[in-house]
Amino acid sequence: MSRFIRNPKDVITGGLLLALASMFAYLSLDLPMGSAVRMGPGYFPLMLAGLLALLGLLVLIGGLRFEDAGEPLSLAAIPWRALGLVTLAVVVFGLGIRPLGLGAAMGLSVFLSALASRRFRLPTALLLTALMVAFAWLVFIKALGLPLPMRGPWLGGY
Amino acid sequence: MDILSNLELGFSVALSLQNLFYCFVGVLLGTLIGVLPGLGPVATIAMLLPITFGLPPVSALIMLAGIYYGAQYGGSTTAILINLPGESSSVVTALDGYQMARQGRAGVALATAALGSFFAGSVATLLLALFAPPLADLALQFGAPEYFALMVLGLIASVALASGSVLKALAMVVLGILLGIAGQDVYTGVPRFTFDITDLADGIEFVALAMGVFGLGEIIRNLEDEHTRSVGVQKVTGLMLTREDFRRIVGPVLRGTALGSLLGILPGGGAMLSSFASYSIEKKISKTPQRFGKGAIEGVAGPESANNAGAQTSFIPMLTLGIPSNPVMALMIGALIIQGIVPGPNVVNEKPDLFWGIIASMWIGNFMLVLLNLPLIGIWVRLLTVPYHVLYPLIVGFCCIGVYSVNNNVFDVFAMALFGVVGYVLVKLECEPAPLLLGFIIGPMLEEYLRRAMLISRGDPLVFFTRPLSASLLLLALAALVVVLLPSVRKTRDEAFKE
Amino acid sequence: MTHPNPRMAAASTEAAPRPSATRRMVVLACAALAALAIPFSPARAQTYPDRPITMVVPFAAGGPTDTVARLIAESMSKTLGQQVVVENVGGAGGTRGAGQVAKAAPDGYTILLHHIGQATSATLYRKLPYNVLTDFVEIGLVTDVPMTVIGKKDLPPTTITELVSYVKENKEKVIYGNAGVGSASHLCGMLLMSALASPMTTVPYQGTGPAMNDLVGGQIDLMCDQSTNTTGQIKAGKVKAYGVTTPTRVKSLPDLPTFGESGVKNFEVAVWHGAYAPKGTSPEVVAKLNNALRVALQDPKVIARFADLGTEPVSQDRASPEAHKAFLEAEVAKWKPIIEQAGIYAD
Repeated sequence: MSRFIRNPKDVITGGLLLALASMFAYLSLDLPMGSAVRMGPGYFPLMLAGLLALLGLLVLIGGLRFEDAGEPLSLAAIPWRALGLVTLAVVVFGLGIRPLGLGAAMGLSVFLSALASRRFRLPTALLLTALMVAFAWLVFIKALGLPLPMRGPWLGGY
Repeated sequence: MDILSNLELGFSVALSLQNLFYCFVGVLLGTLIGVLPGLGPVATIAMLLPITFGLPPVSALIMLAGIYYGAQYGGSTTAILINLPGESSSVVTALDGYQMARQGRAGVALATAALGSFFAGSVATLLLALFAPPLADLALQFGAPEYFALMVLGLIASVALASGSVLKALAMVVLGILLGIAGQDVYTGVPRFTFDITDLADGIEFVALAMGVFGLGEIIRNLEDEHTRSVGVQKVTGLMLTREDFRRIVGPVLRGTALGSLLGILPGGGAMLSSFASYSIEKKISKTPQRFGKGAIEGVAGPESANNAGAQTSFIPMLTLGIPSNPVMALMIGALIIQGIVPGPNVVNEKPDLFWGIIASMWIGNFMLVLLNLPLIGIWVRLLTVPYHVLYPLIVGFCCIGVYSVNNNVFDVFAMALFGVVGYVLVKLECEPAPLLLGFIIGPMLEEYLRRAMLISRGDPLVFFTRPLSASLLLLALAALVVVLLPSVRKTRDEAFKE
Repeated sequence: MTHPNPRMAAASTEAAPRPSATRRMVVLACAALAALAIPFSPARAQTYPDRPITMVVPFAAGGPTDTVARLIAESMSKTLGQQVVVENVGGAGGTRGAGQVAKAAPDGYTILLHHIGQATSATLYRKLPYNVLTDFVEIGLVTDVPMTVIGKKDLPPTTITELVSYVKENKEKVIYGNAGVGSASHLCGMLLMSALASPMTTVPYQGTGPAMNDLVGGQIDLMCDQSTNTTGQIKAGKVKAYGVTTPTRVKSLPDLPTFGESGVKNFEVAVWHGAYAPKGTSPEVVAKLNNALRVALQDPKVIARFADLGTEPVSQDRASPEAHKAFLEAEVAKWKPIIEQAGIYAD
C-alpha cells in the first residue's frame, strides 16, 4: 500500500460516507427547517447528515493513520459476472412479473442467476428453473392464493 | 379462583375438535409463510380474511393468531440456513445463527430457536392470562417522551450488534436512520429524499432492504471465490443441543422472555426492539463477547425467545383495549368487525369465550409448533447438503416473489436489486449491515416521537426528565453509553476484533 | 390481474347457514377443482363477468374502508356470479391504489372502492398523476360512516356547548390527534377548527391505533374519528364522547347528540364510500356493477354488519352513478377552500 493510505477500505468508506452525507444535507436544505420546538421536516435529517459527515471524516482519518488488519481489498477479486447477473435476474423478475406473469418471470430470474456461477451446467439450470416454476405455482398461486396470474397479458393470460 | 374457571372455559373452547383443527391449520400456514422469505403474516392474513367470514368468530381468530405466531417460529429458519431474514425480528438471529450453520451446527441453532420460542411463548401466554388488564394499563403510561427515551436506549445498545469498528457501526446506524426517514413526512406530508418517485412516498420497504443487503449481498459474496474457497458448510455435527449448549442458553432464554414480554405490550415498535435489545444484553454480559457474531448460541437463544414472547404479549392491547399494536392486530380487529363483534375494552366481559379461548389456543398452538418444528429440523439441515451453486438460484427466486408479495409493487423488487449491490459493497468495506437495519427501523420512530413529545409539551425539553418513566429510561441509556465508551470494554472489543 | 382463488371461490358459494368445518373443506376442494377448469377467454360485455373481479381498496387490510369493501364484495360476488376479490393497494393516502385503477384496463375487472379521500385528494395532492373527476366512471355511493368527536376521560367539558367554549378559550393548548395527513380524522379536525374559528395544536399519528392509544392514555385531549373506530371505546367509558358529525343521531350510539342539535354550524362530515371503474368502462358493464351494488346494499347481512359499524347503506336513489358523480363534484368543491385555508398539502 502507498505510504499515505494505510487502510484503503476505511479511506473508501470514509469518502463514501462523506459523499452520502453531502447528498443528504443538500436534499435536506430544500426542506422547511422549523425550530427545535416545532421541528420542520428538514431539521432532523440535517442534524443526521452533519453527524454522518463527522463520522465519515473520522473513518477516513483513521484509514490514513492505521494499518488494515483484515484481508486486502483488490479490484480483481470483484465477481463482476455474479454481481451483474444476480442483479439482472432480480431486475428481470421485476420487469416481467406484470406483463409475463409469475411463471415466466420466475423462470427467467432463476435461470439468469444460475448463469452467475462458474459451475453452471445447462441441464442442471433448466431442471432448477422448471422445479422453481412448478413450486411457485403450487405454493404461491394454488396454496396461498397470491393475486397473481401465472401467465401475464403478453402470454395470452390476463 | 376466577382465573382457573376462566382458563377452564378457554380450554373447553380451544380444545373442541373444530378449533384444534383451525389452530393447527393456522400454525402450519404460519410456519410455511415464515419459512418463505418476504411473505409475511400481514399479506397472508389479508388473503385469508375471506375464508374466515364463514367460520365462527372464535375459530377465525384462533386460526389468524396461529398464522401470526407460527410465522415467528418459521421466520428464523431462513435466517439461520441461508442468511435471509424475512422480518425485522430475524435480522438478529441471522447474525449468529448463520455462522452456526456454516460451522455445521444448523440443527442446534434451529433447535435452540424452537425450544427458546416455545418456552417464551408459553410464559408470555401465561402472563397474558394472568395480568392482561394491568399490563395494558402500563402500556397506556407510555407517551411520546417514554417512547423517545426507549428508542435512544435501543440505538445506543445497538452498537453492541457490531463486532468490528465502533465508528463504522455508528456511521451505519446514522445512515440507516437517514434511509429510514425517506418518504412522506408524517407531520407535514412533505416528501423527503424521494426524488419525485411516487413509490418512495411511503419510504423504502424494509423487506427489500433486509433481503437485499443480507440475502443477495451474501450470495454475490459467496460467488466471488467459489473456486478457491469452499462456500458450503462444514459437516453437520449433531442436531440436538449438548449439555453444555443447554447450560449456555438457560440465561439468555429467561432474559429474552422477560424482555420480549415487556416490550411486546408496547404498541408502536416495542416488539421490534426486543430481539435487538436481547442480543445486545447477552453480548454485554457475556464473559466471552468475542464469540458473538461468530456463531454464539446465546445470540440465537436470547433474541428468538424475546421475539416470540413479544409476539404473544402484543395481543394484550388488542384483546383488552381493542387497540391494534401492529398491522397484524389491525387485521384481526377487521376480522372481528366483519364477524359482527365491535372490538373494544368490553370484549373481555361480553365475549369471555372468545377472549379466553384465544389465550388457551395460543398455548396449544405453541405446543403444536414445537412438535411440528423439531422433526422438521432434520429436513432443513439436509437442505444444506445441496451444493451451493444449485441452491442459490432458488434463493434468488424466493427473494423476488417474497419482496414483490409484500406490497404487490415491482418498485420493491428493483430496490432489492440495488440493495443487493449495496450489501456486497458494505461487506467488502467491512461495514456491518445489522446496525444499518436497526437504524432504519428505529430512525423514523425516533424522529416521530421526538417531534410529538416536543409538540405536546410545547417545546419544553424538560419533559423527558420530569416524567419518571422517561427519565429512568434515559438514565439507562446514559449508563449504556458509558459502558459502550468505557476504555476497558473497548479494549476487549478491539482485542476481539484482532483475533 | 387476478387469478381465480379456490378458497375465496369456496367462501362465496357458501351462502346461507354455517356448514361444519369438514364439509367446508370438502366443498373447498371441489371448488378448487372447479376453479382450475375455468377457461381463460377475453372479456365481452354480454358475458361479463366471466372471471373474478378485483376490487382495489387503497388502504391497508383490516381498516374500516377495507371492512366496508369486503362486506360489499362478498354480496356482489353472489349477484355477479363471479368472485369479487379485494386487493389492498395501500400507500400515499389512498392515491397509489386509486392511481392504479385509473390506469387499469376499462374492462370492468378492476374497480375501486374509495372513501371521502377520493374528493379531498384532488386538493391535498398538487401533483396527482390522475384526475379525480375525469379519470373514473362512478358506479354508486355505498355508505356514509358517521364520525364522533371524543376526548380523553378527564377532559373538563362534558357537553358540546362546554366543549366549544373550552376550545375557544384554550385554543392551542388543546391537543388534537389525528391518524395522519389526509386521513378522515385529519379532515374532521380541519373542519372543526374552521367551524369554531379556533386553532388547536394538531398532532399526527401513523394511523388511528396509536392515536387512540394516546387518547385513552390521556396523552392527547381530543380526536374525531369514524364511529367504527370509536364505538367500542365510548361504550366502555374509556373516552368521553361529545357528539356525532352527521345531521341525524347514530343508531348504535342513541344518546350521543349531533353537533347541529347543539347549534354548531358548518360542521357536518361523514366518511362516505363510493365505487369507481376506470374511465372508458362500457355503460353496460357499469350498469351490471351498479345493479350488484344495489342488491348488496339491500342484503340483510350487509345491513346488519353496517349497523354494527354505526352506519347504514345509502338510500337507493343515492346509489346511482349519476348521484354519485354529482356528490363527488360537490365534495371536491366543499373541501377545496378548507384545505387551502389550512395550507397543508400531502405532496
